Amino acid sequence: MAYGTSGKILRIDLTQKTIRVERFDEDFYRLYPGGKALAGYVLLNELKPGTDALSPENILVIANGLLTGAPFSASTRFTMAARSPLTGSYGESEAGGFWGPELKMAGYEAIVITGRAQLPTYITIRDDQVELRDAQTLWGCEPKEVQERIRAELADKHVRVLQIGIGGENCVRYAAVTNELRHFNGRTGMGAVMGSKNLKAIAVLGSGRYPDQAHDIKPISEIGRALGKRVKDHPQAWDLQVKGTPGLVGAFNTGGFLPTRNFRQGVFEGVDNIKWEAYEKMLTARHTCYACAIRCKREVSVDDRYQVSAAYGGPEYETVEGFGGYCGIDDLQAIAKANELCNRYTLDTISASSTIAFAMECFEHGLIGLKDTGGLDLRFGNAEAMVKMVELIAKREGLGHLLAEGSKRAAQVIGGDAHLFAIQVKGMELAMHDPRGKVGVGIGYSVGEYGGDHLYSVHDTLVANAESITFKGAEPLDIAALPPRELGTAKARNYTILENWTSFGKVVGLCYFAPAPRSYMQVDEVLTAVQAATGWEELTLADLLRIGERATNLARAFNVLNGFSRKDDNLPERLFQPLENGPMAGTTIDKKEFQDTLDEVYRLKGWDPDTTAPSRDRLRELGIEWVADLMGV
Amino acid sequence: MELHLGSYLSWYIPQRSSRMAIKLDKPVSLMELVAGLKIPVEEIALAAVNGVLVALPDTFVSDEDQVELHPPNGGG
Repeated sequence: MAYGTSGKILRIDLTQKTIRVERFDEDFYRLYPGGKALAGYVLLNELKPGTDALSPENILVIANGLLTGAPFSASTRFTMAARSPLTGSYGESEAGGFWGPELKMAGYEAIVITGRAQLPTYITIRDDQVELRDAQTLWGCEPKEVQERIRAELADKHVRVLQIGIGGENCVRYAAVTNELRHFNGRTGMGAVMGSKNLKAIAVLGSGRYPDQAHDIKPISEIGRALGKRVKDHPQAWDLQVKGTPGLVGAFNTGGFLPTRNFRQGVFEGVDNIKWEAYEKMLTARHTCYACAIRCKREVSVDDRYQVSAAYGGPEYETVEGFGGYCGIDDLQAIAKANELCNRYTLDTISASSTIAFAMECFEHGLIGLKDTGGLDLRFGNAEAMVKMVELIAKREGLGHLLAEGSKRAAQVIGGDAHLFAIQVKGMELAMHDPRGKVGVGIGYSVGEYGGDHLYSVHDTLVANAESITFKGAEPLDIAALPPRELGTAKARNYTILENWTSFGKVVGLCYFAPAPRSYMQVDEVLTAVQAATGWEELTLADLLRIGERATNLARAFNVLNGFSRKDDNLPERLFQPLENGPMAGTTIDKKEFQDTLDEVYRLKGWDPDTTAPSRDRLRELGIEWVADLMGV
Repeated sequence: MELHLGSYLSWYIPQRSSRMAIKLDKPVSLMELVAGLKIPVEEIALAAVNGVLVALPDTFVSDEDQVELHPPNGGG
C-alpha cells in the first residue's frame, strides 16, 4: 500500500563512479519522513565528526519532503544538507521551484552523494536510467547556457536542472545552488559542497505520477482545488502574488527595524528609492513554483545604467535590503544587477551582501584600504563598488578572494576590531531581520543549527495580536499572543513550539508562505494532507510537531558531535547595542534577559544548557534513543 | 491626506491600491478613518503619521498629513 513515497534513495559515489538504489521501509519513513529529518539521519549516521566540509568525505544529501510534489500550492520544497563550509555545523538549505517534484516523479525520495569526481561531472536521472556525464565543457559556463545545453544534449526541453555557477565552482563558502535559474538553495554553502565534488549539475526527468505514491489522492486534490480558489480571497496570498516579499522594505523601515548599514541603524534615508513602489517600475513578470497558485516569484528587467537580464528572476526582500539599506545603497538598478550576478554565479545574496557590508565598515574604519580593494572606494553607499565586489567574490579575485571565505574568517585575517563588524552567528551572516524589533528571530539566530538564518521559527510580529489573521492561523498550535520585543518564559515557549512547526515544514517540503501563521493553508489542512499522503490516519497535530522536533534534535546532535556548545549559541555584540536612528533609536536587547530566555528554551527542548546536547529521555520520547548512544549522554 | 496601505491592507479596499488621496474637511481620528475604509483594526500592526509612529486610538489626522498603515509582517 502506498504511503507517500517510492521508498527509494539514490546513492552516488563520485570517486568510485558507482550508482545504486537503496530502499527504506515504512517504519523508517515514520521517523524520518523526508527533507530535514532524512538528511539529518544520513549525516548523523554516516559523516565522521570533524570532516572537512570541502573534502571528498563530506556527504551531500538532497531530500524531498513528504509532501513535495503533491498537487497543491506550496508543496514544492526540497532540502540540501551537508556539513557547511561556512559554519562547520550541520548545514542545510531548502528551495522551491520544480526540481524536487521532478525528482519525486523520477521515483526517488533522496539522493546521497559522496566522494569527488576526478573531472567536472554532471548527473542525469531519467527514472531508472541514471548516468554520470562529462561536464568539462560546462564548467565555467553560466547557468542559462548550462541549462540549455543539457536540455539539448538530452533532447528534452522538460528536463529540470539543478546546478552551480562559478561561485560554486570556486568554492565560495556561501555559494548557492539554483534550479530553473530562479530558485535557490541559498544558505550555508551547499553550492561550494557541489563545487568541491566537481559536480556541476543534476538533471532530472521523471515519468511518474504523484497519485501512484499517495495513499489517498482524493483529499489532496480537494485541498489543491480549495487553495487554488482561495488565492484571490486571502489577503496575504493576494499580497504575495501582487507585491511579493519586496513589499516588506517599507514596512520595516516605518517600524524602525530595517537592518541598515550593518545593523547600526533601523531606518534608511534612501528607502523611497528601493521600496515596493520603486521596485514595481522594473517588474516585468510574476512567476511561480510547481503547482502553486500564489505566484510570489518576481521577474525584473533593466536596460539603463545597468543591464539586468530577466532570465534570473528578480530580487526578493532579503536581497533588496541586503544590497540596499544594509550597504547604504538606494540605487535599485544596482541592487537588481547585484541580484542577477549572484544568481548567475550562484552566491547566497544574504551572505554576499552582508559580507560586503562588513568590508564597507572595515574600509570606513581604515582596517582595509584602497590597496586592499584594488582602488575601489568601498564605502557604504557606493553602488558601483558593491556590484564590482560581487564579481570579485564569485571569481575569488583581489579582496573578493578573502570575502569569499565569509565575514567571520575574513575578520580573523583582517584583525583589529574587524570581528566587531562581522555580524554573524556560527560563521553565517544574519538575515535582514533585526532582533531588536522582533526578539524571537534573535533566539533563532542563536540556537538555530547553522547560525544567522531567519527561518527557524515564526517571526514575533505575526503572532503578536490575538485577533489578527496570522495569530488565528497559528492558534491551533497552542501559542500565546506576545509583544514582539518581549523576552521571558512565554516567549521561549512560543519560540519552541513554532520552531517545531517550522522544522516540520522543512521535513515535509512545505513553503513558508502557505501554512500557519500565513494561514492561506490551515493547520487542519496540513494534517489532512499528511494523513492522506501516508495513510497514517492516527496522526495528530502533536505528532506533526514531534516530527519537526525530531529533525531539530538530529541536527543539534550533529553539531554537538562536531564540537558546538552553548558558547556558539550567541548573538553579535552589536545587537546588544542601541539602534542609532529612527523610532527605535536607543533600543537594544537586555543580555541577561536574553540568556535567561535561552535557558528556558533549552529546558523546554530537554537540552543541556551548557553542552546543548539533547537528553537521553527526550531522545527516547522522540523515538531516536540511538542518538544518545552516539553522543554518549 | 495621503494614505499608504502596506502589504495586504490594500486588499481590503475596493480599488486594492496601496496609495490613495483622501479629502478631509476636518481632523478625524485614525480609528474613524480605518473604520470608514472597512480595514480590520486588528490587522494594523504599525501606524505612522508624517513618518512618526503613533498609537491608533490616540491619533487624529488632518488633510495635510501623510499616513502609513502596515499589517503584521514576517519574513520568508
